[in-house]
Amino acid sequence: MNRALLTLFALAFAGAAQTAGNADAGKAKAAQVCAACHGPEGNKPIAPENPILAGQHQDYLAKALKDYKSGKRSNAIMKGFAASLSNQDIADLAAWFASQQSNLHFQR
Amino acid sequence: MHTLARTALAAAFAALSGAALAQQPAASALKNNLSMCSGCHGIPGYKTAYPEVYHVPKLGGQSPAYLVNALKAYRSGERNHPSMRGIAAGLSDKDMEELAAYFGGGGK
Repeated sequence: MNRALLTLFALAFAGAAQTAGNADAGKAKAAQVCAACHGPEGNKPIAPENPILAGQHQDYLAKALKDYKSGKRSNAIMKGFAASLSNQDIADLAAWFASQQSNLHFQR
Repeated sequence: MHTLARTALAAAFAALSGAALAQQPAASALKNNLSMCSGCHGIPGYKTAYPEVYHVPKLGGQSPAYLVNALKAYRSGERNHPSMRGIAAGLSDKDMEELAAYFGGGGK
């Protein structure tokens, strides 16, 4: 009984770790997919219309990518890129950009 | 000569106070509009409760052009967060530009 419970906990934690994302894997993916428009760290967009990603909330970044992928959020450019990303890629990218530095900050 | 100088001075003051009056409504519109933002974006670590749970994005230091486009997309329905759609529906282009400049400039 205890063993079953422990396994359950272990699985739950593994699941949480997976959705948390791996920033190193995200860095590698970002270099291929995101860097050309948002900058490698997500803090130097090439155009003012492109948002700064560095330092943004991780869960918000993941949600944005998921919404682009599903078509819930429509943007011709982002739809194409997000469509090529797995759920793991999305979690990794969100972890990478959220952990980078920029001028982005909480503002009342 | 004195009279002329005085008239010129009076005219200058009139022009200045006219400019001040003209600026007043714009400033208070921004203040009113900001009060709508602060209910969610003005609380550190605030998370949406509906329709999904995630941190609302940081706006301080974000690119103003991106912020204006985001507000316009909410107004048109292209982006569909219910609260943001409701708020953006009541904003003019000028309101959006002022808000974007405020947040992009870090609250100045």
